[in-house]
Amino acid sequence: MGSDVAEPPVRIPSNVAWTARTIAMASSGDALRGLLIGRRCDRCHGREGFSSSPSVPNLAGMDRLVVWKQLDDFRSGKRSSPVMQPIANSLSLEDSADVAAYYWMMPIAPDPQDDRAFPQSLSDPKHEAVAGRLITAGDGNRGLPPCQACHGPVGFVTGAPSLATQNATYLLEQIEGFASGRRANDINLRMRSIAVQLTDEERHALAEFYGAGLAEPNARPAGR
Amino acid sequence: MEREKVPVSNSTFSAATRPEERPGGTGSSARRVIRVILLSLTLTCVWLTVRFPYEAESGLEYLLSGPNRINPQTLHLRGEFVESNLGPAEEPDGGVTVRMIAEQYLFVPQCVVVPTGVPLRVRITSADVVHKLTVSDAGDEVKAVPGYVVETHLRFERAGEYPMPCHEFCGPGHYAMRSKLIAVPPEQFRNLSQQARMNCVSR
Repeated sequence: MGSDVAEPPVRIPSNVAWTARTIAMASSGDALRGLLIGRRCDRCHGREGFSSSPSVPNLAGMDRLVVWKQLDDFRSGKRSSPVMQPIANSLSLEDSADVAAYYWMMPIAPDPQDDRAFPQSLSDPKHEAVAGRLITAGDGNRGLPPCQACHGPVGFVTGAPSLATQNATYLLEQIEGFASGRRANDINLRMRSIAVQLTDEERHALAEFYGAGLAEPNARPAGR
Repeated sequence: MEREKVPVSNSTFSAATRPEERPGGTGSSARRVIRVILLSLTLTCVWLTVRFPYEAESGLEYLLSGPNRINPQTLHLRGEFVESNLGPAEEPDGGVTVRMIAEQYLFVPQCVVVPTGVPLRVRITSADVVHKLTVSDAGDEVKAVPGYVVETHLRFERAGEYPMPCHEFCGPGHYAMRSKLIAVPPEQFRNLSQQARMNCVSR
């Protein structure tokens, strides 16, 4: 197939492919073992999975396939982070699945005694309407699908994280990263194609909307 | 003495080892071969029906469909749809091949620049469910089916913008699944970088 075509250097965004075997491995973690391994994640990601710094992602209730894939991408260097790459390198595939299972079962309920940064208020009240429209309806004229069709609660795509309890600064950094190509570990260019089309105002609005806890929290994707 | 021995050996022969039960006998080995063939045919049919590797419509279709098969789960790892191979590519015969992936809820790349007046070969596959790429002015529809590479041939004489929406309901983001082709004169196409040919979306 395609043998007559001169192949350019192949770029592979992520070594993870969502085959039945990978999904089975990523969702077979032991949460109790994950709790023990996850003790060293507490300092940045928070004891309850909510970080005290808005530029560090919250992991509580995060789909376990998402955590497992990101750890694998850090390990293989497909996603770069000076902090996370050495940590991911010290974890085996089973360890990753255990940590993922641990964060997956953590509740996302508010806790006034926790020093979490989430939720933060909007910097501009106009942002609520801008983001709300993109999340629920997208923009058909530009070919932008609604965020909730993949990130929930309306639809789920394997490997797409729930964003309802994510930190604003972290989200903005990721959108900017996808748009500039600094972060390029999304399979089949999904997020890069979308992020590059968002205006600066839309990027800020989306990050702040989710970071303010205005999005409807997801029912946990069943059976994973 | 010899006469007495013969009937004895005959009787043991007929009782214990009849011709069809002898290990090397022609009758039994043929029967065994047929049994093995029938069993493996049955197992193959069961495997094709129950545990089929790709999401094609049936196992038989998969076997008969020729070389244009692809695993939708590993498009980004190997084969002609890795991300560095997407978009328009010039062929030695002067034509242009455009490779695209349809996925929920995007066509990748979303905007492709192609030259006018040359034959276009559009090769498309799906990463998840069935989508339908519709080229509005050419009146052409291509169904992108997971597991298969579908090919269509186009030619644009007029420069301009050709919207290509998805015309097969594919989920809650379906109505926003739109992409477009921009046809430009060949000399202008030649001067564009591969990056510019793939990313003509406006911001």
